[in-house]
Amino acid sequence: MTRLGRTSVWPGICLAAGLLLVCLVLSLVLGPASLSLSQLWHFVTTGPVSGDLENAIFWQIRMPRVLLACLVGAELAVAGVILQDLFLNPLTDPYVTGVSSGAALGATIGIVLHWSGLPWTTMLALVGGLATLGIVWMAARRRGRIDIFVLLLAGVTISYLASAMVTVLMIQCNQDMRAIVYWLMGSFSGRGWGEVQVALVAVPFMILPLFFTREMDIMLQGEKRALELGVEVERTKRLLLVTAGVLTAIAVSVCGIIGFVGLVVPHIVRLVVGPSHRSLLPVSLLGGAALLGIADLLSRTVIAPNEIPVGVVTTFVGAPLFVYLLRRGRKS
Amino acid sequence: MALVTLRDVDFAYDERPVLRRISFDLQEGAFVGIVGPNGSGKSTLIDLIDGLLRPAAGEVLVSGIPTQKYRRRDMAREVALVPQHFDLDFDLAVREVVEMGSYCRGKDAASQGDPDLMLARLGIGELAGRRYTELSGGEKQLVVLAQALMQQAPLLLLDEPASALDVSHQLHLFDLLQELNADGLTVLCILHDLNLAIHYFDRLLVLSEGEVAAYGPPDEVLRPEIVEAVYGVRAYLHKHAGRTYLTFSPRLRGERKGRIHVVCGGGTGAGLMRELADAGYEVSAGVLNALDTDEETGRELGLQMAVEAPFSPVGDEAHAQNLELMGAAGLVIVTAVPVSHGNARNIEAAREALAGGTPVWALEGLLESDFAGATEGLADAGVRFFPDEAALVAAVARRRAPQQAAASASPATLPSPKA
Repeated sequence: MTRLGRTSVWPGICLAAGLLLVCLVLSLVLGPASLSLSQLWHFVTTGPVSGDLENAIFWQIRMPRVLLACLVGAELAVAGVILQDLFLNPLTDPYVTGVSSGAALGATIGIVLHWSGLPWTTMLALVGGLATLGIVWMAARRRGRIDIFVLLLAGVTISYLASAMVTVLMIQCNQDMRAIVYWLMGSFSGRGWGEVQVALVAVPFMILPLFFTREMDIMLQGEKRALELGVEVERTKRLLLVTAGVLTAIAVSVCGIIGFVGLVVPHIVRLVVGPSHRSLLPVSLLGGAALLGIADLLSRTVIAPNEIPVGVVTTFVGAPLFVYLLRRGRKS
Repeated sequence: MALVTLRDVDFAYDERPVLRRISFDLQEGAFVGIVGPNGSGKSTLIDLIDGLLRPAAGEVLVSGIPTQKYRRRDMAREVALVPQHFDLDFDLAVREVVEMGSYCRGKDAASQGDPDLMLARLGIGELAGRRYTELSGGEKQLVVLAQALMQQAPLLLLDEPASALDVSHQLHLFDLLQELNADGLTVLCILHDLNLAIHYFDRLLVLSEGEVAAYGPPDEVLRPEIVEAVYGVRAYLHKHAGRTYLTFSPRLRGERKGRIHVVCGGGTGAGLMRELADAGYEVSAGVLNALDTDEETGRELGLQMAVEAPFSPVGDEAHAQNLELMGAAGLVIVTAVPVSHGNARNIEAAREALAGGTPVWALEGLLESDFAGATEGLADAGVRFFPDEAALVAAVARRRAPQQAAASASPATLPSPKA
């Protein structure tokens, strides 16, 4: 691994893009009804055709599901990078801000009220997530500054509070318990173009941090040093926190809480391309998409026709990979 | 126009005042050190100049503009800071760390400067490709200096840059700063080592309990009395080979243990006088010839002494003064000083003190180095002899112990010995 010095970011990005492309092709081809590569080419080039069952399965079921998995993977990975480096804490994942628990509470309310699916449950989850972000934000504000450690503590506290409320709702309405538990575990099953549209709203928020890579690098030295070097720390911090919060809220609202991606993808990418954000952010974005794409493929094919929850798969795929890379990183 | 101006600046963390009525100017091209005890507000002062903190009262002007009017990027172009602690847990290359310093210069590559050149200028060009986390403390300090210099600011602030460095790295760092200053950089540097401060800096700012105790050339502001007032330690000024040095010894504040007079000469009393002075006794000595080793030591220690002209026998005036000093002391100590006709009167003086009720202690070596027969019968007269200096000092300390209870009654006198 010779990445020391000011090397170009493109080799890493091209590699990650290639990986994502392979994942996309595999995810689109494989499934209960597998396709050949030529069939894939045919479907992609002709577009949706009404009356053709295979075409309908491809365009109405498989394509949106694969795209959604990749979008959510990218969102969680970018949010993970931002939060780990803002908190300067490697154990941070996108869910520490409490946004996911707020979203879970919103979704649970939707499920209990039987306003299932899009738009209501999804929208309630989104509102719950963003509202939690607002509450945590207010708690962490002191004399016009956002105290990052208060934010962390407030986030954890709100998480517990929201989880407690979800538990109460589950007990009160135990006929809905199964639905709630499935939502909480996270899944792409049964998601369609509607959810993809919601997830696409996050794209500008994934692009935005790419314009702040230098500031993010400098802030790795702590807020005070960043101020000394001329970074408008408060402004940058706010922008990045909101970005990470919105990305997390959107991701969770369309598919539930999928663990491990936001925690482990940034670490894996850091071990490969280093901590400089010019590489770390775009490669994490592409890598997160690829990882969750593959994880969803496994979740729906390994014990077909049943599904393994995708969060279980991300853990099974990510954990050994992470341990392997950690050990390799130590040696070099 | 001064590069930095502070006018009546007050600063407090919450309710705790840290700086009070600070006023000073820093001229362009100046090379100024800030010294002062821990907690005297040195780092706070630096943070105020860099605009990281805002004064509670008064104003801090950088290039004539109040610091709170600066945006951070503009401030970073005016003022660069080398912090006291600098940790980076992430696996960045030295070149990447240094390059961050040019952030404030904007995206234009021409104005950014080359991190490799900067590292080479500081003599650490070979570190460019290394990982920052693998560097030694001294190397890290230089890399952080390189990062700060990349800002190309006219003013460089340093917060105790030398505190984690060994002596060779310390000297290397200050030599570098001097070179940079010669090239036009204005330097304001906090440091703890007063001797380095004397050697390197054109002017020193002495902070004490949040106020400016002194500001001026080193030999004017680091006089022993100022150092004693600011740090609460005894300070001694030495001149050696054309350079000035300060040495220190602890002082027990507000406590005087009584007076001891030392009869010595030729260097036999130098160590003892210092030890007793450090232990808190008020020490006098005599009669000593001017320029004698013991006389020089006594002068550095600021002792009261009866002094005779160089190479002259003890005259009447000095003898009388000596008797006076002995009379005021609670104990007279005679070292193993060689006794000749020139200084035999000192032994006579000790006999007189003994007759007057002042105890006299002496080292056994005195008897062997008596070439004038002046010490005959001293033991019979009641002089207590000790085999060496350590035993004598221990006995002095023991004398002190039983007095503790009565200390409040007569703190300035030593009790007479038991029979």
